[in-house]
Amino acid sequence: MPSRLVSFINVLRSHDVRISPAETLDAVQVITTLGYEDRNQLRSGLSLALAKTAEEKVTFHRCFDQFFSYQLPQSIEQQATEQEAANSEGDAIPGADPSDLEAAEAALQQMDGEGGETRLDLEGELASDPELAGQLDVPIMDMLRNDDRNSLALAIARAGDEVGLPEIQMFTQKGQFTRRILDELGEGHIRSAIVDLENRGSDALGELQAYRDRLRELVRDHVEREYLLHAQGRNQQFMDDVLAKARLSHIEHHYLHRVQDLVRRMAKKLAARHSRRRKVTRRGQLNMAKTLRRGIAHEGVLFNLYWKSTRKQRPQILAVCDVSGSVSAYAKFLLMFLYSLYDVLPRVRSFAFSNRLGEVSELFAQHPVEKAVELVNWQYGGATDYGSSLMDFAQLALDDIDSQTTVIILGDARNNNGDPRLDVMQSIYARSKQVIWLNPESRALWGSGDSEMPRYLSCCHFAAECSSLAHLERIVDRLLRSSS
Amino acid sequence: MNTLDFPQLASAADIKAGFEQHGYICSDEIATAVFLACQLRKPILVEGPPGVGKTELAKTTAKLLELPLIRLQCYEGLDEAKALYEWKYGKQLLYTQVLKEKLGDLLQGAKGLAESVDRLHHFGDIFYSEDFLEPRPLLKAMHESEGSILLIDEVDKSDYEFESLLLEILSDYQVSIPEIGTVKAKSSPVVFLTSNNTRDISDALKRRCLHLYIPFPTTDLEERIVRSRVPDVDEGLREQIVAFVHSLRQLDLKKAPAISETIDWARSLLLLHAEQLDEDTVRSTLNVLLKFQDDIEATEPELRSLLNPPRSGVASGA
Repeated sequence: MPSRLVSFINVLRSHDVRISPAETLDAVQVITTLGYEDRNQLRSGLSLALAKTAEEKVTFHRCFDQFFSYQLPQSIEQQATEQEAANSEGDAIPGADPSDLEAAEAALQQMDGEGGETRLDLEGELASDPELAGQLDVPIMDMLRNDDRNSLALAIARAGDEVGLPEIQMFTQKGQFTRRILDELGEGHIRSAIVDLENRGSDALGELQAYRDRLRELVRDHVEREYLLHAQGRNQQFMDDVLAKARLSHIEHHYLHRVQDLVRRMAKKLAARHSRRRKVTRRGQLNMAKTLRRGIAHEGVLFNLYWKSTRKQRPQILAVCDVSGSVSAYAKFLLMFLYSLYDVLPRVRSFAFSNRLGEVSELFAQHPVEKAVELVNWQYGGATDYGSSLMDFAQLALDDIDSQTTVIILGDARNNNGDPRLDVMQSIYARSKQVIWLNPESRALWGSGDSEMPRYLSCCHFAAECSSLAHLERIVDRLLRSSS
Repeated sequence: MNTLDFPQLASAADIKAGFEQHGYICSDEIATAVFLACQLRKPILVEGPPGVGKTELAKTTAKLLELPLIRLQCYEGLDEAKALYEWKYGKQLLYTQVLKEKLGDLLQGAKGLAESVDRLHHFGDIFYSEDFLEPRPLLKAMHESEGSILLIDEVDKSDYEFESLLLEILSDYQVSIPEIGTVKAKSSPVVFLTSNNTRDISDALKRRCLHLYIPFPTTDLEERIVRSRVPDVDEGLREQIVAFVHSLRQLDLKKAPAISETIDWARSLLLLHAEQLDEDTVRSTLNVLLKFQDDIEATEPELRSLLNPPRSGVASGA
């Protein structure tokens, strides 16, 4: 069982359930304690040890049912265990999906009905022709003829493991794996026997073909199931990776919702790490313990008083986002990120500008993300003027900037050759804890054309290129680490 | 590590039956969780909406196993001085006074400073020792020699730092006190942690626990719970009550009524001698079920349709 369990855990992991090795060990303990008798109990027992949020529980139950439904069908569980005992290879638990079995059974009955005689033909053919009998003397043929479903399912599952079916990643690989499993099972013998019979024009041809088709169908179903189980989750992870690394302006519109998810998850992760550092201040409370302890040095006279206090660290974040035409493709994502951050961090104020600047925190608070982003673009989009926008910003927020404040500016610093108002920027720089500039252009382009980036650099504690979600995450992580 | 050998713990089914005797009706999953927690000696983190019986689960387990229940209610700012241990400062001060008086006897006849200090060193130092330790709930649970049920309630209300403090207790059933050393549990307690999910519990903590999620119960289960808690309510009314509460949970409410509210409501209706649900009775007792004025206002216009679902034949009007 352990290796089955491990592959089940791999399936869970590919579906975004995070499971540590320690939890795997817990699961093993759960199995030894509960045993296999009661399937439902085992299911809830394992879910206790492996799935640790309400969402993960849902995923867990879905995966458990998928994974074990055909691994442990109730009807043949008994036989399966017997077989398992007989086989030295103890980890593979055979079985087949009951609905599949029914379908196959129906097909077989149909075959029987039509060709009750042809069955005899094949028998006769085999009896009369030792060469053909030798060719078809493979275990898989016996199973097909005896309709031994357990052995068939077991053989297919084992052949699947043999050719590495759990590694399947793309749907394009399905055909390939089906072929490889069929080869592994010795379908080649049946194939060549069919060719023989065809040449001879034998009556047994139809029956043998039916056997072959049934085998192919079973294998195809098996591959399909395994694909659904193993590949889907993995593909999703793959997509997420790709999206995180892609340049924000290149992400297709129809992936936007996935990106949104990703952005929210990122912001939440960062916020969780961040809020951990926030502490509560208690003023005016005597720290009796410390006072007494220190008093001991003065023969128990409470000479020095100590007060309870914990440092209060609540950094304020002001985010300023350029939404002008030149960066509009990025702005959408940056605004989305701001929005998510606003969701999870209490003290974020957001501003948007192109030629003038205004606070958009309200908009973010009142509207869902798509609407808010759209509204911001509509209200503040236009040609860029950093100078007057900075003036606006100073007017709105300069008084609030203190040594706890982090100012993030998202923009390409292309000012259409206007006055960059470096003096305003410098006053922001002087008052704040840190100024961070995130530029969607690559560093090589800074300073080219109408870019004022090199001049603004003098007023930034930190400036970086930020054109993909991965960049964004790394930078914000850094920001939070230094801000607390 | 010693295990608890209780006949009540032979299987999940036994636990379920035992719980029922104590008036706690639970699903198979909950019984399995308690069974595993006792067998594997692992803490359970119980999550779920408020009022579904998370705390009650710990209390009932204590009753079932006849072990003392030690409860630690978490809140923002809870620190080790209140959760783990505190020194008895007053006594420590008195001790230094006593020590000062004895000092003369102790150092009598000592020649020179070096010898005095040497003697002082040989004098047993109990300033930091268990004698002056005031145990708080966590340490108390370590001291229980017969085992205990430790309930760490609403752990999501505590600070992140406090969670780290719990890690040592939850994985090894021991606490470290810098001045003394490590205190190991005499008999490892059964630990329940509850959380209302107001924030994410850290992965480190979750990893050490079994995780049980208690959702709102099914109609069937809830009816059995009401029957066990408020036995005087008759069959028909009970069904109506549970059906109504279930339909309330489908609405978008700030706080959906939980089991505890259902029970309270059933009791109130019993006091009012209501024989069946009608609009007026429900309207006047709605504040037992819904705890926000907004929720009440949102529900009132819906009452009629909620009380008269298409298939049931409840007559309205007093």
